[in-house]
Amino acid sequence: MNRILALAEKEFLQIRRDHVLPRLIVLLPTLMLLLFGYAINFTLSHIPLAVYDASQDRISQVLLAELTKEDRFRLVHRAASPEAVVQAVDRGQARVGLVVPPGALDKVRRGESVSLEVYVDGSDPNFAFQAQAALRKAIQEVNARILVGRAMAGEAVLPPLSPNLHTLYNPENKTAWFMIPGIIGLVLTMFTVLLTALSIVREVESRMMESLLASPLRPHEMVLGKVLPYLFIAFGVALLVLGLGHFVFGVPVRGSLALLLLAMFLFVLGSLAAGVLISTLARTQVQAVFGTYAYAFPTIFLSGFVFPIDGMPRFFQLLSYLVPARYLIEVLRGVMLKGVGFAVLWPHLAALLLFSALVLFLASVRFQRQVVA
Amino acid sequence: MVQAEEVSRSFGSVRALDRVSLEVRPGEVFGLLGPNGAGKTTLVRILTGVLQPDGGRAWVAGLEVGREPHRVKARIGYATQEQSIYRDLTVEENLLFRARLYRPKEARPLAREVLERFGLLPYAHALAGHLSGGWRQRLALAQAVVHRPEVLFLDEPTTGLDPLSRRSVWELIHQEAERGAAVLVTTHYMDEAERCHRLALLFGGRVLATGTPQELKALAKARARFLYAPGLSLREARGMPGVLEAWPSGAGVRLIARREASLGGLEEVEPSLEDVFILLTKEVL
Repeated sequence: MNRILALAEKEFLQIRRDHVLPRLIVLLPTLMLLLFGYAINFTLSHIPLAVYDASQDRISQVLLAELTKEDRFRLVHRAASPEAVVQAVDRGQARVGLVVPPGALDKVRRGESVSLEVYVDGSDPNFAFQAQAALRKAIQEVNARILVGRAMAGEAVLPPLSPNLHTLYNPENKTAWFMIPGIIGLVLTMFTVLLTALSIVREVESRMMESLLASPLRPHEMVLGKVLPYLFIAFGVALLVLGLGHFVFGVPVRGSLALLLLAMFLFVLGSLAAGVLISTLARTQVQAVFGTYAYAFPTIFLSGFVFPIDGMPRFFQLLSYLVPARYLIEVLRGVMLKGVGFAVLWPHLAALLLFSALVLFLASVRFQRQVVA
Repeated sequence: MVQAEEVSRSFGSVRALDRVSLEVRPGEVFGLLGPNGAGKTTLVRILTGVLQPDGGRAWVAGLEVGREPHRVKARIGYATQEQSIYRDLTVEENLLFRARLYRPKEARPLAREVLERFGLLPYAHALAGHLSGGWRQRLALAQAVVHRPEVLFLDEPTTGLDPLSRRSVWELIHQEAERGAAVLVTTHYMDEAERCHRLALLFGGRVLATGTPQELKALAKARARFLYAPGLSLREARGMPGVLEAWPSGAGVRLIARREASLGGLEEVEPSLEDVFILLTKEVL
């Protein structure tokens, strides 16, 4: 125990003496959080819209009013011809174009359908999808109003099915709410794995390992002493991100904080062990950095951190079960946004437990083998 | 204190150590002399419990290294070839860290004591990386002995140091032996080997000879003649019958020749350890 503490304290001293590292450890997650929280917004607003309105009547006015309501769309260009609408999208002046044919009101009065031409900039599928949805919503809204009016006049019947949407957990679709659990997962992965791997490889690279091996320090003591400081640091950083998310972005913690911390602890333990594992494979610090990237990359793409797992091909969906961050993020989102408890989340916790146990075992076997030459 | 019996170790097809036997007694400075690649570091790594031997046995501080490496490690000090110090820690922090690994309860007084004994007190709070080469080596030695080990292993402690620093390092080494420690020092500086109580000449993984510097020289004199020929050219010298080795020295040539070679009129000289070493390696090859 004494030896573990001696090593851990030495490690802390070295981190403190490093002029850059402690600042990076605090600044990097904070910046990431602010960046993802403020700058990156997946909920579109102010979509630039070009319109050619041949009707200029009440129908087209109501439709435009509906589109620009709540700032979803912003009318940037009133085109002089239908072709000019497409040109405005081509030039990037607008990203959605709308052509209203002449005589809309008359057609509606006659009970005919008005066919609207809509052009959506599909270069970003995510954008196109959201723009289409917003357009559809506005058009449905107008349709419903017309139908209600005509039903009251006895000219039509109301549609048999009409949805009343309730968005659960994150009703205002705030990106930060969605991102912050993911950022905690990402930060925990990067920091724990990278810092542990580097700190061990540094000892090997500077040939200090030899003299540590010749000391009474046992292999498991060496791993624990090396990992302990980073366990504290990773936890501190995770709490920092959690606190910032809660107090700056108002991300709720609806469920049990203890459950949240348990999941984080299991995950950090496994990630630290993964760092040790990488350190046994890497000979230089550069290799350790790349090894960590190789480990962390699937985390970014397959954990559901940004990209929804449901949107992936089947193969990648299955692959994502191998990414431990996936389970952490599930638990974080579950506890923070949904407020669900152990009864719902236990499979994810079990997966985290399994992951930590497995990697810890692998790391100690490999480390032991490397040490006893 | 240190006893190796027929210790062997191979790396792949390379036989790094071939049945090496030697003994280091308490209070003795024992030199392991050999060129680079002779197997010095491999032997030290085996004796310190870092590496397992393929064959043979070794005892250090009364314990068999292969069986109880951890108990052995607690009782020895090891200064590796690369200075085992953290350059981003201060001198005192380095020593405290080491002391805590071995004797956590007495770490502070032990570190204090070694700071004084090694004259490092003025630098206690300086970063190890800011020390000059000689002082850094002093610190490397200090951290190897801070826990007062019974057996001390020093792997090339003077490599890369200037003559003055080397002298002071050797003083410290003898200081440790006087304290009662068994000290095993590796070096490839032949002149330094004279400072050891006893020596083993290691070459190609094998011990060529063991003894005091005087014994080794006597052994060499019994087998060959060591001569100086002023005014002779190197080519002439090499062409003489019975000459094993010749090299320029001052205005003449130094020679090692067979005992029976009849070389009249040349000056007999006292062999240096380097001469002994060259003779013995010639015999092996």
